[in-house]
Amino acid sequence: MNNLFLIIVSSIIFFLLFLNHSYAQVSNLEVDSTNVQTLKEVIISATRVERQLSSLPLPATIISKKAISRSNSNTLNQILQSQTGLTTVPDFGGGEGLQMQGLDSQYTLILLNGSPLIGRSAGTFNLKRINLGNIRQIEIVKGASSSLYGSEALAGIINIVTEKPTVGLSNYINYSLSTHNSNDFSYSMNNLLNNTGFDFFFNRNSSDGYDLNENDELMTVDPFVNYTINGSLTYDLKDKTKFSLSTRYYNNVQDNVASSSLKGLSEIDEWNTNFKINYSPNSKWDSFLELYLTNYLAKENLNNLDGSLYDESFYDHSLFKPELRNIYRISNNKIIVGGIGLSIEKLNRTYFEVKPIFKSPYIYIQYDYYPIEDLNLIIGSRFDSHNKYKSQFSPKLALRYKINEKISTKFSLGYGYKAPDFRQLYFDFTNSLVGYSVLGYNVAVESISLMQSQGKISNIIYSLDDLKGELKAENSISFNLGFNYILNSEISFDLNIFRNTIKDLIDTRVIANKTNGQNVFSYYNVNNVFTQGLEFNSKWNPSNSLTINSGFQLLYAKDSDAIKSFNNGEVYARKNPNSPAFQLKKKDYFGLYNRSRTMINININYDLFQKNIELNLKGKYRSKYGIIDSNYNNFLDSYDEFVNGYALIDFTLNKKINKKYNVGFGIDNVFDFKDYQNITNISGRIFYAKLNLNFNQ
Amino acid sequence: MKTLKLLFLSFLIISLSSCSDDDEPLLDVVSNKVINFHAPQAGGMGQPITGEFAKFSFATGVQSSSSTEWDIGFRGTTIIVNGGTATGTADEPTRNGQGGAYVASGTMASVLDVDTTKFKQDASSALAITTGSGNGWYTYNGQSHVISPTPGKILVFKTHDGLYAKIEILSYYKDSPASPNAFTDPSRYYTFNYIYQPNKGQTSF
Repeated sequence: MNNLFLIIVSSIIFFLLFLNHSYAQVSNLEVDSTNVQTLKEVIISATRVERQLSSLPLPATIISKKAISRSNSNTLNQILQSQTGLTTVPDFGGGEGLQMQGLDSQYTLILLNGSPLIGRSAGTFNLKRINLGNIRQIEIVKGASSSLYGSEALAGIINIVTEKPTVGLSNYINYSLSTHNSNDFSYSMNNLLNNTGFDFFFNRNSSDGYDLNENDELMTVDPFVNYTINGSLTYDLKDKTKFSLSTRYYNNVQDNVASSSLKGLSEIDEWNTNFKINYSPNSKWDSFLELYLTNYLAKENLNNLDGSLYDESFYDHSLFKPELRNIYRISNNKIIVGGIGLSIEKLNRTYFEVKPIFKSPYIYIQYDYYPIEDLNLIIGSRFDSHNKYKSQFSPKLALRYKINEKISTKFSLGYGYKAPDFRQLYFDFTNSLVGYSVLGYNVAVESISLMQSQGKISNIIYSLDDLKGELKAENSISFNLGFNYILNSEISFDLNIFRNTIKDLIDTRVIANKTNGQNVFSYYNVNNVFTQGLEFNSKWNPSNSLTINSGFQLLYAKDSDAIKSFNNGEVYARKNPNSPAFQLKKKDYFGLYNRSRTMINININYDLFQKNIELNLKGKYRSKYGIIDSNYNNFLDSYDEFVNGYALIDFTLNKKINKKYNVGFGIDNVFDFKDYQNITNISGRIFYAKLNLNFNQ
Repeated sequence: MKTLKLLFLSFLIISLSSCSDDDEPLLDVVSNKVINFHAPQAGGMGQPITGEFAKFSFATGVQSSSSTEWDIGFRGTTIIVNGGTATGTADEPTRNGQGGAYVASGTMASVLDVDTTKFKQDASSALAITTGSGNGWYTYNGQSHVISPTPGKILVFKTHDGLYAKIEILSYYKDSPASPNAFTDPSRYYTFNYIYQPNKGQTSF
């Protein structure tokens, strides 16, 4: 892979020299896109049609290209965790998943230009996979969005919008170097000439990893190198038809170390290809035909010291999704969006006896209109038919009412769901060391019968008839009520109250005992949980050169059945592990794991010397949260051990040297906060420097 | 002479116990703590579990080597009663008593009455104290591999001779360390509190 890197870099440099000459004349046509953006922020994913963010009836935010470059973030996890109400949760191997409105990573759909990204590890989507180098904007929509996107859009969606070709050649090089020998190099090039446009992006991101606990033989995050290559081509045919083809390739190779004598590699290969035809015969109609194909392949191996293979596994997931979408503008204020599509998913992996295929045709429609002048109403619904689990109907209603020039209110109510994933249906795994087994719902009966005939089952706890029938999709009713108050041109406030009531959460239970004393686990619909709270944001621009944004989230995330158990006095705890147990009170129930009651963020931007120097100060606070049931009563209560609340402060300084060069310097986690036992994704203080070269000036 | 004394003593006991319940003074309920009761096992980790059960008698409050005078038996995390049938694993003792058990939710202070309808005996399909993490008396942590007695689980037993007792298990590790380490602290050493009702027919503690 290093050779490939060298070849690519040298060809880029060669290409640059060549291009600088041939396109020299057009470069002065370059448009300053950042100014346009601040005037009118447009969001695409919230309604599947370009909409002005400020008038949208849904709780949504946009992170602009400007904000991304100011923050000096390289990957998606870094920028998202500085947003109000969002936090990232560490996963195996240094991955980070998103928590939105108190819901886990598996309930937020991640989209790339409107198409879903796949490749999750036990439900977690690792946000580090997404490099921000060629991202034009990030759209965050909170609240169930299954009425447009179907499965997984239960807590909300994140849409990553890549650069689109714009008139005038631009090509950039960005390089940053930071603590842990982390290197991020990207090159991007973009142009639109007459009716043909292209965008090319290359990134190499690597790190030596880090070790928070020197006492064990493992590193907290092992060294890795990854590459992202993204290319898109657009072609306009007589103003009415537009073609676009974009493809993205991602490769990550990381050391995989299980112990001092077991080492190997873990590798991810991901492809996304999207072909789109947009036909707009007149200003009222817009038709899109999209063909989306993506594949995610993860491989892992472990070798003994003598080089012989100890263990290997793979996970090969693909999705093919053709979709036809129509937008019909009845009038300026009445828009109908409708779509019909098919999603075909395949998975081939270790621990699966079958190679399952999900086929799911779907249809959706949405009507966005103004019944009266100051009231905007959006009604939408989607139907997903499925060959392996119950079909889903997902309606949604959203409205925004402008009370006066200063105050407006928003309300949305929607159904969201997450379909059972392949693992929950088809997993067929027996731990070779301890001897327990985990079976997917759809294969449980067959596998148990097989184990029984092999004499491995001593006792069946749930009769096999109970295991027949369909596993239900996890589903939720999501409610959001918001108020926006614009005090004056300098100060504005946003308040959003939310509640997600989730039913049929899938968990594991013991379905049989084995003769070796271990258990057989399988998945079932059990928990009813809710997350509720409020989010408050404020913006203050005291002067042209100073902006202060701050946000706050209050969250209660609880299991309804756990509340009942506490109310009924069925929960006990010990003060220390060997003292007699005592009964817990109602107020002792804390809630779900990994949820902080409060989160606060603050972001201060300050410009100096005619914006030649940009300063940025960011702070994030998370109140205490629990990650383990340290007193073993199966609930997180006030007698458990908690991860202490903490605050992180980041500082950034970017300086424009001249039109061609920008340099940046920063310190993340200024006060060197670490908690090696509980928080593996915070590596301590990080220094970095970056250089940005713009070849076209 | 010794035999005579013994005979006299047994006669006395028999005559006392045959008195009507009304005038018999009740024996005191026994409350005690057992520390580091060793319950070894062989096998496990995917292999069949073997080894003699460490038997315990509530009447004596110590380990029992008798094949009849025992109430409960421990082997690793498995607890059996002297009543019912064998589950079919190796080295199980013969159950020849009328013992039984159930798991009650509560504390030693709150479980005050025996619910005689709840008793189960060991059977080939399942033990009276069901095995496995979260099913019976303990919770297993898959990350730390520590076995912890689940708080709020009181094991109520019927002894081999039809009396009642309750126990609260406090630790599975030798000398009950405050935060046990599954790799360094010797396991299969039970520490538990028990209360034994030595009077026939008494269902409260």
